[in-house]
Amino acid sequence: MQNQQRVKDAAEKYGAENVVVILGSSDAEGAEIYAETVTNGDPTFAGPLAGVPLGLAVYHVFEQEIRDEADEAAWEDQISMMEMVLDPEALSAAVKSMREEFSKYTL
Amino acid sequence: MTYRVVHYINQFFAGIGGEEKADYLPELREGVVGPGMALNAAFKGEAEIVATVVCGDTYFASNMEEATKTILDMVKKSNADAFIAGPAFNAGRYGTACGAICSAVSKELGVPVVSAMYPENPGVEMYRKNLFIVEAADSARGMGKAVPAMAALLLKQLKGEKIGLPTEEGYIERGVRINKFYEKLAAERAVDMFVAKMQGKPFTTEYAMPVFDRVAPNPAIKDLKNATVAIVTSGGICPKGNPDHIEASSASKYGEYDITGVDDLTAEAYCTAHGGYDATYADQDADRVLPVDVLREMEKAGVFKKLHNKFYTTVGNGTAVASAKRFGAEIAEKLKKDGVDAVILTST
Repeated sequence: MQNQQRVKDAAEKYGAENVVVILGSSDAEGAEIYAETVTNGDPTFAGPLAGVPLGLAVYHVFEQEIRDEADEAAWEDQISMMEMVLDPEALSAAVKSMREEFSKYTL
Repeated sequence: MTYRVVHYINQFFAGIGGEEKADYLPELREGVVGPGMALNAAFKGEAEIVATVVCGDTYFASNMEEATKTILDMVKKSNADAFIAGPAFNAGRYGTACGAICSAVSKELGVPVVSAMYPENPGVEMYRKNLFIVEAADSARGMGKAVPAMAALLLKQLKGEKIGLPTEEGYIERGVRINKFYEKLAAERAVDMFVAKMQGKPFTTEYAMPVFDRVAPNPAIKDLKNATVAIVTSGGICPKGNPDHIEASSASKYGEYDITGVDDLTAEAYCTAHGGYDATYADQDADRVLPVDVLREMEKAGVFKKLHNKFYTTVGNGTAVASAKRFGAEIAEKLKKDGVDAVILTST
């Protein structure tokens, strides 16, 4: 809930077109909910983003677009381990589907 | 006309806070709060949430009567045509509050009500006979699916339309049976069903059996010689005269009795409270149901270390599954605290 408020504040302060949300969640269902929250509004209607469709650009950290932006050594160091353990394709697909449906902005 | 609906939610869905704010007092707010936005959209202009009641789950659970009265007054003041609560998903106290408030509004104000919960929410077992509870997922992720079904069910009631079967409308069975005429006799229908079953084709039962959960057994005791063993029974064995008045059927309680120094359950000292079987043989010798005598022999022979000095007993005859679950959980808690390693359950 606090995170929703932080995202909302950031979008107001810097402008929605200047904010990119990068998700690190480990389950696809959760990633989808978070992606929906920052694009179409909180689907559970419990938080500050209920009914607030920010349309932010949202990516999972495993997606190629983010990988391209990252320092290779840092990626290897911080992310590659989790990439082996989790299901990066399912996570990326979950976030991508929400982004394509609801995001007004992309990288 | 647009129907006036009042919506009930807890402190969490009102965005006030979680457990730390659960003592939040009932509050009436104008218009929609939180999930009400989704409900309003689903009403498509036919109804409108004119006010939202927000109440903390703990406050409601600890002050049910007072909270119900306060909230009823709020609903009355709002001139509501209908009342909607939740969805509560698998939140136990929230579900109980939704069920209790819906029941009270329906009874006192006579307006249509609807809620939504996960089937295992305790509020379902308690209130499903009183109101339509839409079946929801176990977490708020199911909001998108629950809300349209709730809205549709409420509108149907408001417009006096016929409400279909639970499977058609998406609500949880209320346990209501309706007479229906068939062209075919019951025997023919039964044979049709049987044939379909044998052929692996789909068929629908006319009398659904309740579904009971299965409890997987724990791993076996490794060191029986050093184990403390307790006995628990649903066969109703208790001290003669049934001092705690455990009911002969539909028990609402269980008993805890000390058997320190007792090697044999004699007819003079023990009997059964059970009303569901012929008590003659249990009253003659209660060891037949609760084998203290044999267990004492095994204890002396060193098969296990110790027979626990207390036994727990209730009557399983027609006792509600929810009550049995509660007894079981409480008894298990006590046995664990007393350091018991294994339990023998006897029935009749």
